[in-house]
Amino acid sequence: MLRNRWLFVTILFACLAASLVFVGYPIYVIRPFRAQGARELAVALVVARFRPMVTVISALVALAALAGYWRVQQREWRRILAAVGAGFVCVLAVLARVNVYELMFHPIDHAAFSAAAKSKLDGDEKVIAVLVNGEARAYPIRAMSYHHIINDEVGKTAIVATY
Amino acid sequence: MWTREVDGTRLTFHLAGINNQNFIMRDEETGTYWQQINGLAISGPLKGWQLTLVPSDELNFATWRSEQPQGTVLNDISKYATEYARKDWDVRMKREPVVISFAEHGMKARDLLLGIRAFGASRAFPYDEVIKQKLVKDHVGAEPVLLVVGEDNQSVRVFRDRIPGVDTTPDFYRLTPPKPGALLMDSATGSEWNFQGCAVSGKLQGVCLERVQALKDYWFDWRNYNPRTTIWGK
Repeated sequence: MLRNRWLFVTILFACLAASLVFVGYPIYVIRPFRAQGARELAVALVVARFRPMVTVISALVALAALAGYWRVQQREWRRILAAVGAGFVCVLAVLARVNVYELMFHPIDHAAFSAAAKSKLDGDEKVIAVLVNGEARAYPIRAMSYHHIINDEVGKTAIVATY
Repeated sequence: MWTREVDGTRLTFHLAGINNQNFIMRDEETGTYWQQINGLAISGPLKGWQLTLVPSDELNFATWRSEQPQGTVLNDISKYATEYARKDWDVRMKREPVVISFAEHGMKARDLLLGIRAFGASRAFPYDEVIKQKLVKDHVGAEPVLLVVGEDNQSVRVFRDRIPGVDTTPDFYRLTPPKPGALLMDSATGSEWNFQGCAVSGKLQGVCLERVQALKDYWFDWRNYNPRTTIWGK
């Protein structure tokens, strides 16, 4: 019985550690105003890519370990402590799906365009302009330096405007 | 600016991170990470793929509107418009800190430049100096290029300094003062040329110079991705 308890606790801690690393490491490496080394960036991007899957598996394993622990542990406060730990692993699985960058710089979901002649944009505002298959489009830098990306279609061609 | 179809799949990009102050995009279809400055897939299933460049210009809105009256312009997303940048955003950004720096050729990390990667070479043209000179004749690799400042005194375009169908090297000079719709004249034919690089009068009327893509960038970012870049005037 005692051995089982330790096993469940160890699994819980392992899940917590794995989820913390998978959520925390990419945030630590890929953050503004910090120099990114080539190798650490490569590792962080691989971690970020598998982060949603790994943290969900980790949460499921943590919940299973909690259920096992609950059965073999009678002391209430230890059960609650284990539940809090498993709950935190679940929270990390949710956090792994949050794109911090899109919280800071909201993406454009529904772009709208005006005719050049009717636009209220000041003449001395800067724009990035494209001409694709005869269709001309301008993206004001005032908006692009905030949203950074717009998935668009110009001249029947799917393009991504970036700044 | 890139096309977003790779191998028959249309990709939808999201902002996903930052790499030495150049941002990283992620496509939701494959989960691949892409570097914004060069359109290269740096991690994930499509690693190694290169997005196709869509030529673009950085212009004053009035200049663009006069050239493309039929064009359309992206509206503000009103919910976020109060957070948008001011007109002198790129100048204001000069005060922001940097995380990498290349103290070479007397360049400061946030000096603005026009970067050209073409003809097997990379060359940077300090923006303020180009604006001052208004017409720059130089080379990228072995290819002669022409940098032309628009009438708004802020927009810059780059062309190959060769007239299609003409063997001799052209000799362009700037009209002072510029005429409406004409900025340059070539001394061989006396044809007048506009900011789009097309002859609007004279023997060569209708002929257009070939455009060369230039990127307005900060020195630290340009140098990071173009380690062998040379600098005009240095």
